[in-house]
Amino acid sequence: MSIAFKSPIFDVKNLNFSVGGQDILAHISLEIFHGEYIAIIGPNGGGKTTLIRLLLGLEKPTNGTIKIFGKDLKHFKEWNKIGFVPQRAAQVDQNFPATALDIVKMGRTSKRKIFSSETKEDIQAVDDAMAKMDISNLKDKMVGTLSGGQRQRVMIARALASNPEILILDEPNTGVDIVSQQNFYKLLSKLNKEENITIVFITHDIGVIADDIVRLFTINQKAIVCNDPKAALSCEDMSELYGISAHLVHNHKHEHSS
Amino acid sequence: MIEMLSYEFMQRAFFAGILIAILASVSGTFVVLKRYSMISETLAHSALVGVAVALVAGYNPLWVAVIVSVLSAWLIEYLRSAFALYSDAILAILLSGSLAVAVIIVSVGGEFNNSLFAYLFGSILSVSGEDIVTIFIFGFIALFLLLVFSKEFYFIAYDEEVAKTSGLRVKLLNYLLVTIVAIIVALSIRIIGTLLIGALMVIPTVAALQYRVGFLRTSLLSLTFAVISVIVGMTLSFYFSLPSGATIVLCVLSVFVLSLFINKK
Repeated sequence: MSIAFKSPIFDVKNLNFSVGGQDILAHISLEIFHGEYIAIIGPNGGGKTTLIRLLLGLEKPTNGTIKIFGKDLKHFKEWNKIGFVPQRAAQVDQNFPATALDIVKMGRTSKRKIFSSETKEDIQAVDDAMAKMDISNLKDKMVGTLSGGQRQRVMIARALASNPEILILDEPNTGVDIVSQQNFYKLLSKLNKEENITIVFITHDIGVIADDIVRLFTINQKAIVCNDPKAALSCEDMSELYGISAHLVHNHKHEHSS
Repeated sequence: MIEMLSYEFMQRAFFAGILIAILASVSGTFVVLKRYSMISETLAHSALVGVAVALVAGYNPLWVAVIVSVLSAWLIEYLRSAFALYSDAILAILLSGSLAVAVIIVSVGGEFNNSLFAYLFGSILSVSGEDIVTIFIFGFIALFLLLVFSKEFYFIAYDEEVAKTSGLRVKLLNYLLVTIVAIIVALSIRIIGTLLIGALMVIPTVAALQYRVGFLRTSLLSLTFAVISVIVGMTLSFYFSLPSGATIVLCVLSVFVLSLFINKK
């Protein structure tokens, strides 16, 4: 797949983030373009989640600039163009009083105007998001009773309900079985190819999705951007990144890193 | 029942009590889901400072209680967001601090001890016509805001960070919710009493959560439990000369215990 994209959705320049004088991320510069399918990998504690939090405005950078859809992050208001699925997505509070439908509807909250009731457009967007994630039959089920894989789909449907242009997922597979994970990657790939939604996600199991992704960001305090993920997976950067001898196997059945 | 309602003070008490039951249970749903249950206790003690000041200075205690309680709510939110302090520790600090201030004020003006007792535990005899007007005005504003922003408060209670990344003005909405809770707590102290209002905010929701149903049904169950407890509690309070706040809380506790056993796994 060629990378012929126009202005970037995210334009990050010389980003630094430090806590108590210690660098968590240093000199990060990267761009994310419309229609891309990007995986972010790296060791635990390497700063992957911090990078996502900075991109979403949940943390303030120590230095550097972040532009979203051409606007400085401070002045960016159109957050419903971005769908976010956090790390703990599949581990919801068992007692929280919410059906799958209640959760997906949350995705429309920031789009609705004060005093306005639910519109036909809202209902349609929620129905569509649930259909895309194949969870229409779970509408009235309490989220606490769903499996990890089903909850994961509910959380993504919530993110999709605002019709975002980009979907950012932080290790969405934590607590999800292997079969659900593989189905999940097929869904992400479908969203990227058929709906033209830009996908960025943090993962550990890069081998499983290596065939589909366009670019790979490897984060361990610094960022290494690989424009050819298949080459990257066998490149020496991997060893440098993880600090041990590392390579990944291109195989859908035996995803593995050692 | 009809005999009881022929008294004007009971009509006032029922009007105020039912409105407060609705307000406490609706706001309580969000407070419980945000794991912020103790805020009602802290704000009630802050309201007590307002009552003590008003009794000494000769103002309407309800109005001053509303003002002090709202200021305390803003202070809690400010401390929570501006400093690296644990939320429950902030609540504990302000609760003790408020009580200390209220006790000092009351000890200076000792003759007010009797009227203060009614504010601590609630009294159906104490609701004046002026109180009804205050409860009505503030109560309807609070209910209106709760209903208008219910979907936002629900989202924030579910996941504050995701709500923020979706574009909701979480900080502003958090301030709004604590302001509404502060007003409701202050309005409740006549009927329920400072020491017991927390129960009417928290227990109906916790009882409703036992039924494991969606948000709307949970809210309606919580509201039903609160209103029934207030009606039964005030009726028992009238016929057996019991303190209204304590009787209402025992009623809502019974509903909770019953709900717990009905829904036992």
